[in-house]
Amino acid sequence: MFLIMRYIAKLLKALASEASPGQIAGGIILGMIIGLTPLSSLHNLLIVVLILVLKVNIGMALLSFTIFSGIAYLADPLFHSFGVWLLELESMQETWTSMYNNEWIALTEFYNTVVIGSLATAILLCFPMFPLATYGVLQYRKHIHEKMMKWKVVKAFKGTKLYSIYETVSRVRG
Amino acid sequence: MRIGGIITVLILVGIGFAATFFITDEWVEGQVEYQASLLNEAKVELDDFEFSLWNLQVKWGRLQVANSNNTMQNTFETGDTEFSMEFWPLILKNKVIVDNVRLTGFQIDTERETDGAFEMPEDIEEDGKPGFIYGVVSQVSREASKNAEVKFTDVRDDLNVDSLMAKVNIQSIDKIDSLRNGIQQNYSKWDSTFKNTKVNEEVAKVRSTVETIKPKEIKKPKEVLEAIENVKKLRKQVDSLKTRTENLKQNFEEDYGTTRDDLGQVDNWIKDDYQRALNVAKLPDLDVQNIGKALFGQNLLGDYAAYLEYVAIAREYGSRLMGEEDSTKEIPRYEGLDYEFTDKYDYPGFWFKNIELSGRTKSDIDISGMVTNISSSQKKTGEPVKFDINGTDDNEVALTVNGELNYLEKEPRESFNVNYSGFTLSKARISPSDLLPYKLKSGKGELNVEMNIIDKRIDSRIDYLAKNISFDFEAAGQPKNRIESLIRNAIGSTDQIDVAALIDNIDGPLRVRVRSNVDDLFMNALRQTVSQEVENAKRKIEAEVQKQVEGKKEQLEEFKAEKEAELRQRYEELQAKVDEQLKVVEEKKKELEERKKELEDSLKDKVKDKIGIDF
Repeated sequence: MFLIMRYIAKLLKALASEASPGQIAGGIILGMIIGLTPLSSLHNLLIVVLILVLKVNIGMALLSFTIFSGIAYLADPLFHSFGVWLLELESMQETWTSMYNNEWIALTEFYNTVVIGSLATAILLCFPMFPLATYGVLQYRKHIHEKMMKWKVVKAFKGTKLYSIYETVSRVRG
Repeated sequence: MRIGGIITVLILVGIGFAATFFITDEWVEGQVEYQASLLNEAKVELDDFEFSLWNLQVKWGRLQVANSNNTMQNTFETGDTEFSMEFWPLILKNKVIVDNVRLTGFQIDTERETDGAFEMPEDIEEDGKPGFIYGVVSQVSREASKNAEVKFTDVRDDLNVDSLMAKVNIQSIDKIDSLRNGIQQNYSKWDSTFKNTKVNEEVAKVRSTVETIKPKEIKKPKEVLEAIENVKKLRKQVDSLKTRTENLKQNFEEDYGTTRDDLGQVDNWIKDDYQRALNVAKLPDLDVQNIGKALFGQNLLGDYAAYLEYVAIAREYGSRLMGEEDSTKEIPRYEGLDYEFTDKYDYPGFWFKNIELSGRTKSDIDISGMVTNISSSQKKTGEPVKFDINGTDDNEVALTVNGELNYLEKEPRESFNVNYSGFTLSKARISPSDLLPYKLKSGKGELNVEMNIIDKRIDSRIDYLAKNISFDFEAAGQPKNRIESLIRNAIGSTDQIDVAALIDNIDGPLRVRVRSNVDDLFMNALRQTVSQEVENAKRKIEAEVQKQVEGKKEQLEEFKAEKEAELRQRYEELQAKVDEQLKVVEEKKKELEERKKELEDSLKDKVKDKIGIDF
């Protein structure tokens, strides 16, 4: 319970001021890629390393991963169809074949309909998602945050003993 | 860049490597044992297992593959074994491809210290049906034990037929009674059919309609024409009744025809009873074809069944693996479909290309050789399993085993050759038969087994050669009877026995033939001694069987003929009614035609009288 509360509080803090909009948007799109594509794919290892190494917001990446995993489950048949279309593209056959014959590239399992379909979708979505997320964070800070802090639910949440313990611990840690 | 993140990544990578170093051996061993046990339907156990992630090398100190039919025994076990798996097939497709395996300490049929039973998961169906070759194994084993039961020297003239017949279940009488009931039921069925047929009713209707037509009372030509039309319709109706009656007859004939075939079987049932009585009496069939079987059948067929069982095991594994990878599966959600742009990674589940094998047989012959292309799908490798193993011991006893297990085509094919030579026959009994109860003083043996099996067609040959032999008659003492003395004289000068057994089902059911160079010698000795006793005993048994079933067949034939005659009579009555009605209708038609002419003529006369013109 404490961990969940801590996570929510950190997210709210990050949204409010702690992290830059770019870092939050970066977390969202990287989490989205992992969420939309099959978890065990090799490229996700690279994304995880990027999340850890780059200064993106990890909490937002986790939230984004959770949300987009649910979306991916629903969109799985669409990813499969898109993957079939991509892998059967006449103009791409030579490229796919030479990629397939290269063991290192084959490691990415690009020849799987769901992997290629979901990855291509995720990459395409990155282009609108990054500016949209950045804009969204700015709008949140400007218009929504203050109002939200006045919500009874938020006040009640802040008034809980657990939250005060978290606040104390956070202050001590600096 | 986040320094903490980089350190976290490095720590995670370190933990990963450490974990693989410490836990892979046990984890991989568990997985391999479990999957192999599923396939084997009995435990497969590895000892001193080592797996190296760096060069994908696998080693074990001992492998035991339990026999699923006898879980306290291993089908085979090996000692130190070592091989390296190819990197890319394993990483990309989870396929185990191995170029060279060095396998030592190979032994078959070893005893286990613990029970090798493996509890199969509920969702995996166990194949309860024994395969075709197992069926042949049990047929051959039965034949071997049957040959062992034939006693030549125990035949007595004073055969107690009564006590023998008490042991024989004479089945002909019950079968004849059952056939009689069948005939009775069939009779009742047809009796009711002929009684209740609507043909009778319809014939009566036609008759009454025909009787209402009275040509003499018809005064107008138009009415005659109408009556002729009606009679024509009635004719058609009677024709249809005739066709129905003929169909009825045809069905009746066909039905009764099958009963006639059943009657023809009565003689076969009696013959079967006679044969059963002979079997209970264990009377030998004094035919030269049977002497070889009786002398050497048990040993040779016993060996053959043992070798065949290995082929059965091979086919069972082969069939479990065949087709498994070709089955089309539904695409599981979130897993998608893998496209294969080339056949570069089209590997079978596993493929051991060359296995260099060494070990020891139960008779302590050190063996070595090669087994090639053991795979989970021969269709993918394009190569059948081939094996060539041989060895000798200090006494120059040699063993060679080679063959091929080919599952490339639709019909599985196995070919197999075993040669075992140079083994000593000193103090051995060459035959378990009571005709040859002597041990050998000296001699060397050679056994050669050749099997070719294509799907369900078996063609095999076993050659057994005992050379430089001499029988130890002294140890057996003086001959106990004349037959023993004759046999001793006949085989005393023989220094070689050459036996050939042919087992095949090329022309139908499984055929087992065993011939040897001493068959005729034995046959002559038997003809001079027990032949008469055997014939007398057979005659007694035949007479007793005939006595028990006497008159039954004739009574049945009489019963059947009586019932058939009754039914034929019923049919003929029916047919006569229809034929008679046909005649009546025809006559009525003729009468109407005549009446028509009369009326026409009278009309003409009237016109002539009125206008004075003769038409």
